[in-house]
Amino acid sequence: MSFIHASAVSANAVMLLAFALVALLIIFFLMRAKNNARKAASWRAQVLDLHEFTRRTLGMNLRLEPGPQLAELVHEIFALEAVAVFDAELHQVYPAGHWSADPQELAQNVYYFGTSDDDPKTGLGRRVVRLGTVPIGSLVVRGKTSPSTNSAIASLIAIAFDRYRAFANESRMETERRTEQLRSTVLDGLAHAYKTPLTAIRAASTGLGEMGNLSPGQAELVALIDEQTGLLADLTTRLLTTARLDAGEVTVHATAVDVAPLIEEVVTSLGDRLASMKVELDIPEKRVVLECDRQMMVMLLTQYIDNACKYSILGSTITIRAEKVHAEIVFSVRSFGPEIPINDRERIFDRYYRSTARASRANGTGIGLSVAKRVALLHGGSVWVTSDEIEGTTFFAAIPATTHKRVF
Amino acid sequence: MMQTPIRILLVDDESAIRRALRPPLVELGFQVVDVSRGEEALQMLRAGGFDVVLLDVNMPGIGGIETLRRIRALAPRLPVLMLTVRDAEEEKVEALELGADDYVTKPFSMRELIARIRTAVRRVRAPARAEDAPIVIGELRLDPVKRKVTKRDQPLHLTRKEFDILLCLMSHAGRVITYARLLTAVWGADCREEVEYLRTFVRQLRKKIEDNPATPVYLLTDVYVGYRFADPQTFIEENVEGVAEENAPEEASN
Repeated sequence: MSFIHASAVSANAVMLLAFALVALLIIFFLMRAKNNARKAASWRAQVLDLHEFTRRTLGMNLRLEPGPQLAELVHEIFALEAVAVFDAELHQVYPAGHWSADPQELAQNVYYFGTSDDDPKTGLGRRVVRLGTVPIGSLVVRGKTSPSTNSAIASLIAIAFDRYRAFANESRMETERRTEQLRSTVLDGLAHAYKTPLTAIRAASTGLGEMGNLSPGQAELVALIDEQTGLLADLTTRLLTTARLDAGEVTVHATAVDVAPLIEEVVTSLGDRLASMKVELDIPEKRVVLECDRQMMVMLLTQYIDNACKYSILGSTITIRAEKVHAEIVFSVRSFGPEIPINDRERIFDRYYRSTARASRANGTGIGLSVAKRVALLHGGSVWVTSDEIEGTTFFAAIPATTHKRVF
Repeated sequence: MMQTPIRILLVDDESAIRRALRPPLVELGFQVVDVSRGEEALQMLRAGGFDVVLLDVNMPGIGGIETLRRIRALAPRLPVLMLTVRDAEEEKVEALELGADDYVTKPFSMRELIARIRTAVRRVRAPARAEDAPIVIGELRLDPVKRKVTKRDQPLHLTRKEFDILLCLMSHAGRVITYARLLTAVWGADCREEVEYLRTFVRQLRKKIEDNPATPVYLLTDVYVGYRFADPQTFIEENVEGVAEENAPEEASN
């Protein structure tokens, strides 16, 4: 993966290099046309040096920071007295050659004040290193190179910086992807490994119950084992689901889904958990149809409603609403409970994130809402929450009404 | 009346599960033989004498699905219950389409497992029902010839398709019917993918046959797999228990 991308970066660099060289060659030929043989010879030498410099930057080790390598290369190839390269992103000045004073401030000032000039007296050349029009560093040289060569060096340094950044970015993304994949695999493996012991425990505890002859105390303990096994099993299933969603091993099987029965089904399936709450369904339009992966949407809604149940005042009303707004179906689940602190409203959808304000009172796992978010994202939709003491807390999910079948 | 004990062949590669299932089954009067591989199961079945097979789906070797396929070739009517996990709905559908009678989802309760075993065995042992005989389940009565449905003797007005769905489900009461099978039975093979269509009909049907459509007792959903009409036995058992309790004080006074 990274190799493919790195070579694509190189291809761009090669094109830029070709462009730079053609430009220099044109100048070279113009000089020759002027019949300025001495200058032409010196130019020719500098063009060859630039060619060498380009060749060497392409061979640079992209895993190491580019500044020191570039400073050394420029110093060596162009036979300069001294070189300083400033990398604005890393905020580092890399000197090479002999500087009587530390060139740090000098190089930084070039960047900050945007001075690009050449002083024939001191032989000092200063260039802002730009990528396109964006300054990304600076170059200071002392020696016998011509102003156009100095400019060409600065351009080549910009390209080298850019290649390095693209490569670093790509490797970081690759690393993140691999870490995520590994984590998902571990989670998946763990969840599967839990299933067998859970099944054995549940069969054993309920088996004891079926065999009968238990004292009331024994029966109570058996029921407790059964109930707790249920909780563990539920958690395991949820872990498995997130692991799969995260690993991207999910295909969105989109079908046309009638929203009203979908919501009713979720409410029915939550059954006992909603028993102590008032539930209101609010679907203004008669028939709202959504193209989505039904199974995933059930997960999202279950999560929202279950969450509302967990964090709301016993006996209060949970309002579930779905309406078409332009090209999206907006689902919302509103409940009354403690306000979600403003700092938490974004992060609450991150996995394992549990608001410190609420951690003590509900038995959440910090997984559920991240599942809801993943489901919405997989459908090209979004999630958010609003919360205030008087208006209550409302979780939203906006899903495009028509989605194209996509494979992730 | 002493019934012949039900003989179970339990196939699961996890010894913990075999060890957990065996004692309660044995104590409740079942005979249990357990093996850990599909290959062994097929060997045992060739000798015959089993009433039902409990078959794990995920096993090393030929695995549960292939074992099921071979069992069906060997014994087309032998009840087979699959032991599956919750997030493997496609496997459940595959097993049902290959002729599995039912499935239970791990981690299941013993009560659920035993009820499913009894239902499956009873179905095979029961004398074949005449195809045009009325079907009575709970308070519902369906007459396939007159195409009439009554609830507590009150006629229900069903559309043709609603009746067809109900007929298909009630004549297989207690068994899960996959979406594809139900769609094929009522609309034909071209429509086997139209699950959403089916859901709309089921929703209407529930409004007509259930007391409370939000908590159905007759027309049940097997999430992601299909629909199941409630096992007639569940209504009979409830009634029997009710009757027994009512009768108890009288007997005591005599």
